[in-house]
Amino acid sequence: MMSCLEAKKPSLCHREPLTAEKVRTTLAVLKGVLTSCYGPFGRLKQLHNGVGGSVCTTSQSAVLLRNLSVTHPVLKVLIASVQNHVSCFSDCGLFTAILCCNLIENVQKTNLATATAIKLNKRLLNFCTNYLRSESCGCRIPVDFSSTQILLCLVRSVLTSKPACMLTRKEVDHISTLILRAFLFTIPESTKNPIILGKSIIISLKGPRVTDSTVLPGVLIEIPEIQLMKTLPVRKSSALKVALFSTSLSGDFSDPGEGSVVVSYRVSLENAVLDQLINLGRQLVSDHVDLVLCQKVMHPSLKRFLRTHHIIAIDRVGVTPIEPLSKATGAQPIGSLGPVSPSSYGSVKDWHSAQFGCKHFFHLIPNEAPVCTLLLCNRNDTVADELKLACQTALHVLQLTVKEPWVLLGGGCTETHLAACIRHTTHKEPGNILQGEGCTQAELQLIAEAFCSALESLAGSLEHDGGEILTDMKHGHFWSMQD
Amino acid sequence: MACRIINKRRHVGLQQLSSFAETGRAFLGPVKSSKFITDEGCHKSVLVSSTVRLLESLDTTSAVGQLLNEAVQAQNDTYRTGATTLLFLAGAWSRAVEECLHLGVPIPIIVSVMSEGLNSCSEEVVSLQVPVHNIFDHMDSTEAVSGLETVSGSSLPQDLSEAISVPEKQDLKDDVPQLATYSLSEKPGKSPKFFKPQATVEAGKNTSQTLKNLHTDTCFRKSVLIHSRHFKRTDNNQGICTPNRFLEQCGAATFQTYGCRDLVELAVGLSHGDGSSMQLVEAAVRLQYQNACMQPGSRAAPFMFDISRLFTFCLPGLPETFSCVCPGYITLVSISSAAMIQELQNRPIRVVLIEGDLTESYRHLGFNKSTHIKTVLDGVKLQEDSSEELWANHVLQLLIKFSVNLILVEGNVSEHLIEKCRHRNQLIIGSVNGRVMQTFAEATGAVQVAYITQVNEDCVGSGVSVTFWRNPLDDLDRSNRMAILLKTEGISMITAVLTSPVRAQMQTKEDRFWTCAYRVHHALKEEKVFLGGSAVEFLCLSHLHILAEQPLQKGDHACLGRLHDTSSWLASSLASYRPTVLKCLADGWHRYLSALLCNTATYSSELEASTFVQHHVQNAVDSGCPSAYILKEYNKLNSGIFNLGISNKPEQIPRVYDVVTPKIEAWRRALDLVLLVLQTDTEIITGLGHTQINSQKLEGCLFL
Repeated sequence: MMSCLEAKKPSLCHREPLTAEKVRTTLAVLKGVLTSCYGPFGRLKQLHNGVGGSVCTTSQSAVLLRNLSVTHPVLKVLIASVQNHVSCFSDCGLFTAILCCNLIENVQKTNLATATAIKLNKRLLNFCTNYLRSESCGCRIPVDFSSTQILLCLVRSVLTSKPACMLTRKEVDHISTLILRAFLFTIPESTKNPIILGKSIIISLKGPRVTDSTVLPGVLIEIPEIQLMKTLPVRKSSALKVALFSTSLSGDFSDPGEGSVVVSYRVSLENAVLDQLINLGRQLVSDHVDLVLCQKVMHPSLKRFLRTHHIIAIDRVGVTPIEPLSKATGAQPIGSLGPVSPSSYGSVKDWHSAQFGCKHFFHLIPNEAPVCTLLLCNRNDTVADELKLACQTALHVLQLTVKEPWVLLGGGCTETHLAACIRHTTHKEPGNILQGEGCTQAELQLIAEAFCSALESLAGSLEHDGGEILTDMKHGHFWSMQD
Repeated sequence: MACRIINKRRHVGLQQLSSFAETGRAFLGPVKSSKFITDEGCHKSVLVSSTVRLLESLDTTSAVGQLLNEAVQAQNDTYRTGATTLLFLAGAWSRAVEECLHLGVPIPIIVSVMSEGLNSCSEEVVSLQVPVHNIFDHMDSTEAVSGLETVSGSSLPQDLSEAISVPEKQDLKDDVPQLATYSLSEKPGKSPKFFKPQATVEAGKNTSQTLKNLHTDTCFRKSVLIHSRHFKRTDNNQGICTPNRFLEQCGAATFQTYGCRDLVELAVGLSHGDGSSMQLVEAAVRLQYQNACMQPGSRAAPFMFDISRLFTFCLPGLPETFSCVCPGYITLVSISSAAMIQELQNRPIRVVLIEGDLTESYRHLGFNKSTHIKTVLDGVKLQEDSSEELWANHVLQLLIKFSVNLILVEGNVSEHLIEKCRHRNQLIIGSVNGRVMQTFAEATGAVQVAYITQVNEDCVGSGVSVTFWRNPLDDLDRSNRMAILLKTEGISMITAVLTSPVRAQMQTKEDRFWTCAYRVHHALKEEKVFLGGSAVEFLCLSHLHILAEQPLQKGDHACLGRLHDTSSWLASSLASYRPTVLKCLADGWHRYLSALLCNTATYSSELEASTFVQHHVQNAVDSGCPSAYILKEYNKLNSGIFNLGISNKPEQIPRVYDVVTPKIEAWRRALDLVLLVLQTDTEIITGLGHTQINSQKLEGCLFL
């Protein structure tokens, strides 16, 4: 074989890529896009592919960053790290991204050696995190789990910072309460250590009004109306035995891959598999199972077989509800057509059929498992997607308060306060920050100024309508004014 | 990837929105003008006469166009009505918002005040709600039912006589108030006689007495009820029309409104100029009610109009007089089956319901056929027949075994099988709607199966009768097919047969029928309607004018609307901008009313209409209580504002009604759309290389 020879191009090395003009301008554009989205009065962005694809209107970093396709490696690194933050904490994506951009911009202006700048910024960051965790911190409030006030406020500020949800004040209150209730549903009643939070599933429903949203204990499975009518209304007073299948029960045979299967005439593979399915059905009947849920398709004959034996059979549940279902029922998802081990079965307390909007649901009520479903209604797809994401974020934020029961003041307060603190300390006790690192005080002043103004301009980014931000340098207070 | 700033000087998105909305102006109000949409590429054209169909045909690939389309579709999917209102208001309010921007109002304040204003309007219009209660209490079912039984008890009809036919719509301007616009049977003597002719005199007398009353039309309605002997038992006036006092907070003038307690009144009020469709809907409701009354135990549960049991069947080519509603399912079969139908009718037949396709190769959804399977013949002699033939024979044997003569299939059917079955008087009908299958399953006791091989005795339903819908040779369509009617005793399914001599109008007719049906459905479900004829919009308009004059109360959080953060300067400067924004919001409604008056041809120009609206708004605002003013005007015979295009003979003015939730939701969706576009400042085009966007579009783009 002949190999193709091509003159190798020499590798290009760019020194200090951040100083390149092109990088600066693209960074400025990115910053502009993100800054304009920030806060409750942030502007929205229409994301679409320009050739008639679906339009997404959003101001949330998770959606924005997912769809931004940047070319320069520096921006790629920046976006990837912000996305990483969002996947860990859900919240504060825009905060992180804007602070990044601000810091890069400000530090570059100082013209200090990169190593020094990095060292000092790390020091300042350390100082900030230590201060925010310390008892003396003036901008944090302990979360009081005995009342709903702070928790509700927290949820409300997450929701209101996403203007594309298009919620009125009343609707924000309604959804906040629902989110808090959903969160409380996931806390197990028993106080075994370690406490494992339960699951809350969010189902988005297009059509009904936002105020029709609700939260229900247990799991809702959407099923076509006709199928629901056919399920037998057998009600038992005792708990119902559940089998949960993650494998397909549709009766197709496993893929032979590259090879082929040779069967002799008059042997029907389909019938062979169907026999196997019916055998499985017989075992379910003899094991007194009441409810069979299948992630994929169930063969119509098996379904009928189960129904004639008064077993409720629901197929095409989908992959998302499998984990919550397993949690709610205690059943292990069954992955084969072989004999079922009795330990795989789970149980539920009861079931209902429910209708919301034009959709029909099968509602499973667990014995005591902390699983709940948040049913979010909204007028159309655009707004529904945005609201669902906001609610997921709010739920995550609530879960994080269990780990660290503190909240910080919002609306730019914390940033302004931190900046004031840093300024104060670098003037009065620079040694506390420097700690003999071999940097001069002048260098520290420069970097501290860059750092503080990055924080302050972040707080100022909350303003989008020509108002002015006034900061009290001494006490670190922050006002917005009309000019 | 590129992003484009869209509101540098003027907001491009809002401009696009208002220009899109302009296209739907002609569909506003009861007098609608149709449009031809022509594709310049292939010279094809379609006739549209509703907003939904219009947007389907327009190129809405731009971002704003798609958002608008999404909003209209969502409204239509949920309510089936209100799409035109949504479209028009979206346009009117985007202009209003542009005006606000021009005046320098900050965006968060526009968003907040406008949504607060609309909320306040939605609360205000509650005063114009009319309760719809006990509509069916006055409809004594036994008589109607026995009438129906007489008909169905006789030999199975060959023609329309069983169906409830709707004669040509009676003009509202006719002298005699017409209630008896339908009859249960065309055969004299078997009519259930809902209405006694001699009652007319009585009614006339009543009318003259009550004419002096302010509420002429309402009371006349009541007297109309006396036409029916079923209503005669209610001698005292209060029995039917219970005054529902409200608005007493308005002081001096206390007005009364009456609940809507009669299906005819409700249907006429909700018909919005489409009487013929509405008469079909009304007949369908009646039919369903009678059917429900025949069911055992029907007395226990109150009757609910179940729209999921209503189906339409379009027959283009026939004159409109053939439109009617029938109990049962109507479908087309090939003319070659005529002999078989002849054979099958007059006897109950057994039915099988198949969920999927009825073909040899069909496998249920989710079944993956493996391609790597080879069949070998180890010395066995292969039968001569193909597998298709074998399968068809097997099916035939099954059908004979269970003596089944009718198979309803949701999917496709093998032509070969249809042909084979035809010779054995076995009728197979394919592509049957899932809801129809479900209804037949309930009515016949059949169980739907995926494969015909699953059929056993328990799955077979019985008691279906099949007849020609009309004389088969009368109305053959071009494809040589004829309509047949399938029904069972007490089937809850109703089919509305829609006919039109003009094929292009068929779609429009069907759409209008459904719009009417859903209006009645919503009104009955919600048990309330609005006073119609743009009374609610007028109230909103006057209410906003009053609201704009009122000073803002300190600590009034409701006024902050979406302005959740009270510490911002925006909250403190809200009061100064509020009147401007509210007036702009009111302008949207002003445009709506003017366009409506213009469309109904009451006014020749938009300006004239606008002046007229302005005059009435001023009066309403001056009166101090707009809702009282509206009620007064509403009941006035020739005020011209709420009784559009109707003769000035007092006894013929029907009340106009509007559905409640769909209307308010349409407003809200329209405003939400406008505010969503308003808050958008950048359009981000994803996934495209710079080269792929053409240079003309690139203007004003920034790149990442």
